[in-house]
Amino acid sequence: MSDATATPGAATPRGHQPASLLTPDARTKRRNAAEGRFKLYGIIALGIGLIFLVSLLWAIISNGTSAFTQTFITVDVPLVEAELDETGNRDPAEMAKVSTFGYKPLIAAALERQIDEIGIETEIDGKDLADLLSSSAPAQVRDQVLANPDLVGQTVEFRLLASSRVDGYLKGRVTRESLARDKNLSPEHLDVVDKLRAADALEKTFNWDFIFGADASESRPEQAGIGVSMIGSFFMMLVVLFLALPIGVAASIYLEEFAPKNRFTDFIEVNISNLAAVPSIVFGILGLAVFIQFAHLPQSAPLVGGLVLTLMTLPTIIISTRASLKAVPPSIRDAALGVGASKMQSVFHHVLPLAMPGILTGTIIGLAQALGETAPLLLIGMVGFIASNPPDGLASGFLDPNSAMPAQIYEWAKRADPAYYERAWGGIIILLLFLMTMNIIAIILRRRFERRW
Amino acid sequence: MNDMRLAERAVDMSDNKITAKGVQVYYGDTHAIKDVDVEIKDKTVTAFIGPSGCGKSTFLRCLNRMNDTIDSARVEGQICIDGEDIYDPKVDPVQLRAKVGMVFQKPNPFPKSIYDNIAYGPRIHGLAKNKADLDDIVERSLRRGAIWDEVKDRLHAPGTGLSGGQQQRLCIARAVATEPEVLLMDEPCSALDPIATAQVEELIDELRENYSVVIVTHSMQQAARVSQKTAFFHLGHLVEYGETGQIFTNPQDSRTESYITGRIG
Repeated sequence: MSDATATPGAATPRGHQPASLLTPDARTKRRNAAEGRFKLYGIIALGIGLIFLVSLLWAIISNGTSAFTQTFITVDVPLVEAELDETGNRDPAEMAKVSTFGYKPLIAAALERQIDEIGIETEIDGKDLADLLSSSAPAQVRDQVLANPDLVGQTVEFRLLASSRVDGYLKGRVTRESLARDKNLSPEHLDVVDKLRAADALEKTFNWDFIFGADASESRPEQAGIGVSMIGSFFMMLVVLFLALPIGVAASIYLEEFAPKNRFTDFIEVNISNLAAVPSIVFGILGLAVFIQFAHLPQSAPLVGGLVLTLMTLPTIIISTRASLKAVPPSIRDAALGVGASKMQSVFHHVLPLAMPGILTGTIIGLAQALGETAPLLLIGMVGFIASNPPDGLASGFLDPNSAMPAQIYEWAKRADPAYYERAWGGIIILLLFLMTMNIIAIILRRRFERRW
Repeated sequence: MNDMRLAERAVDMSDNKITAKGVQVYYGDTHAIKDVDVEIKDKTVTAFIGPSGCGKSTFLRCLNRMNDTIDSARVEGQICIDGEDIYDPKVDPVQLRAKVGMVFQKPNPFPKSIYDNIAYGPRIHGLAKNKADLDDIVERSLRRGAIWDEVKDRLHAPGTGLSGGQQQRLCIARAVATEPEVLLMDEPCSALDPIATAQVEELIDELRENYSVVIVTHSMQQAARVSQKTAFFHLGHLVEYGETGQIFTNPQDSRTESYITGRIG
């Protein structure tokens, strides 16, 4: 029974408006306007977010892609037997006595001859011409010769790293004006570079060494690569995965399904939530105090880094696992208990499989977070260490000093040479690729394990 | 309610299956069940009726100790099945629940195949010696659940893909697969449409031959249709308990009469 039928014939049954649906009343208009405004705010917020994302990606890609190419100079180096292998028996142990200083004049002379043969006239003398090459060039030749002693006595074509200034010139970072104040290379060198390039003796190619190589000293940015710290990150992630996943999942199952609900478990719950918000550097100093100073684990080792990151990742995994366990409908537990399953059977046979997508997603998000973490690594000495050799074996991978990708990026960004700048950005591209891969794996796993019916 | 032919119903006066004496249930400080005494007979359908929140589901869940899973719940008094106190500290509730099966309000098949839904109970209790044995149990249970003909060609299809009524009969089949002696049903038809309800009710009547069935229901018509004995709960008290025909035609307590005639509840 409405008022309208109670007072038949009244023109305005609700007292204040003509009851036409075709003209919206003032109140409706105001509500619609408020909704429209809210939608607009949302779109603006989304737009700002997108602008930030696009400019971030643009900055990373435009600055970082150049790290993936590197300039090489092709030089025919005569490997003079008298200089490199005095005894003549091609014994690598004997030949190792000749240091890179023994190779340097050979390379310089070879470069000068090459430039002569091409027909480039220059006033720079032979010794200074060698500045075109990276100071790692003699080591590069020496390593190849020691690996294959039979090369001695022949004239071999080498693709030698150009110095970072030459590389920078090809990438547009170095100009003749900037070289006027630079003692490493003169503008005249660049004339030679132009001519070498015209003669195809100098080229810019894809730089696999950046992806697989080791970090180099501060003065040789052209040689630095992220490969070894990638291995460091990999071993850390192994530690995190094999510690944080079982511990985190077991702790959450116990807390969620078995633990009595009392003050003590409430206290633990609150503290786990708090731990998730603790700054990561706090975990770093904890790791320094506990793992290195107290337990005497080796400094800068991926094992210690992994332990610290495990502490950091555990709360994330526990919280997401508990959330996904909570999301499993209680009727499934009832059903299992109703047919006489024990508590543990109901959890492991029914609840856990349903919670799996959430657990895996949480774990991978936690791992991705750990992969990008730098601050705790500062305190346990994984930053600033020049990882020059890849680990040889499993134990060495866990225990030998190493760095990690984000720490390596931080290290490069800190260095003075502008050539390291592009390497830092390039490292970020690689790190982002890893994170993206992990997120895609998380999505795929979630889809696969999702309740299929 | 004159179509129920109450007088025609023969009540099998066999022995008591479940005997409850002085049962009290507390949820924290709330006194949910107050001093309930009841004797439930074997091979009989017993209905618990009463308004919402009167404690009928709570009492039902005492009979297979499902209240144990609720932290704040506390049960006092004595409940015996076949003369054995099920709240004795030596009783393992897991073993008890194999003997006292339960069907829930909302159909809750496991998100597995129809076959696995039925086979799960027998598997964990070790009732089947081999695959053929298990197949046999699955078929027998599905037949008892009156759903075999509908699903026999798709035993490996997901149980959650069935209709609501089929899911509930699957759950009943799952409950009987562990060879229980008592079957508890907590409003088994409240989520079903009338046709599915009729099928489940028919099934309940058939199950009476082998089991002692206790059913909680909101529908008095349903209680009248399927049960031989009816218990009326109100505010945690067992107000009246007797033969269904007598409860519906000649209630002794004024509260029962008010509820049945629709004045309370």
